[in-house]
Amino acid sequence: MGRAKIKRGSTNIDMTAMCDVAFLLLSFFILTTKFKPAEAVTVVTPASVSNTHALQKDAFTVSIDKEGRIFADLSDEMKGDVIDRISTDRNLNLSAQDKNLFKKSTFIGSPLNQLSSFIRIAPEDLKNVRLTGIPADSSNNELLAWINAAVNSYAGRTINFYIKGDNNAKYTAFKNVIEAFKKNDIYKYKLITNPEGVPAGSELEKANRDAVTNPKK
Amino acid sequence: MAEMEAKSGGGHKKGPGVKKGKKLSTRVDLTPMVDLGFLLITFFIFTTTMSQPTAMNLAMPKDTDKPDETNKVKESGALTIMLGKGDVVYYYYGIDPTKMQTTGYKDVRKIILDKKKATPTDDFFVTIKPDKDATYKNAVNMLDEMSINDVHRYAMIDPSADEYTLITMTEKAGGIH
Repeated sequence: MGRAKIKRGSTNIDMTAMCDVAFLLLSFFILTTKFKPAEAVTVVTPASVSNTHALQKDAFTVSIDKEGRIFADLSDEMKGDVIDRISTDRNLNLSAQDKNLFKKSTFIGSPLNQLSSFIRIAPEDLKNVRLTGIPADSSNNELLAWINAAVNSYAGRTINFYIKGDNNAKYTAFKNVIEAFKKNDIYKYKLITNPEGVPAGSELEKANRDAVTNPKK
Repeated sequence: MAEMEAKSGGGHKKGPGVKKGKKLSTRVDLTPMVDLGFLLITFFIFTTTMSQPTAMNLAMPKDTDKPDETNKVKESGALTIMLGKGDVVYYYYGIDPTKMQTTGYKDVRKIILDKKKATPTDDFFVTIKPDKDATYKNAVNMLDEMSINDVHRYAMIDPSADEYTLITMTEKAGGIH
């Protein structure tokens, strides 16, 4: 019996195809990655075990920086309605050009009476300007007016309210924001945090495990 | 792994005095390039998912003046946690703030869990009172602690004047600035 000849196959593999795939994926990821825009106000958020993701749509984000200044950030689709509303509510006499500038601005960081000069600051200069933030204390609560304008101009649609606070922000600033929401009859909002692992052996971990093993419960 | 060096030179061997006019192969070993490609892909995959922030739900109660709408808390099941300056936590059971004890964020979980085990579920109530020197991080950590320990009944309010004085006194005695 003639033994079948075992042909020694070459160990050279043609890498071209694999290389093509790799670089196709690479270019896809490079193009789809959105780098965080350089923020004029840095807010380092605390971590929490929560695992729901923050939505970008219809979002009204109130940021508190480490000095307790308050800034508001509206998602693009809301800006037009909100600025119209607050302009009439507060008799700001904003021109159409001002309103367009507002739509392009990244966030709100000044009292209402300085709003028209604030929106004229170029985005790259924002870092060099000392921003005052939105007044939100009990004597002059303009945050209240902004939230009110957002709620009224957005009637019928739900706005996702977020609070994005800095680790070192004082609790009093956070409380002022909560008060402003409360006065507008908004009791449900979300705090933006960084993801963090659930501590091993904790009740939440057990609950999560149960939810996976008996999904019915 | 594919063969690395074996034939990449195209077999340009020189015998003694013999010159071979063999053409150089145009094949390039792509393995390192693929390696690099996948390394970068991994990097981009990780960075894109990591930067997405999460949101933590917070529902606050409506202010009410009507006594029948307020929550009643049993003294036996009450745990009050006060958040002070310099990441220090003060806590007491029941209604007597003078029995206040001091702890930190690392150990507060055990206190909550012990109290939770010792009281019937319906009676257990945690009151979180961040004072004006507490930071936002402190408040979020404590709210997070509630979800970690599966505490369903809790509230966040301001400390009373008495409690605030107690905290200030303890801070002075402890030298926390």
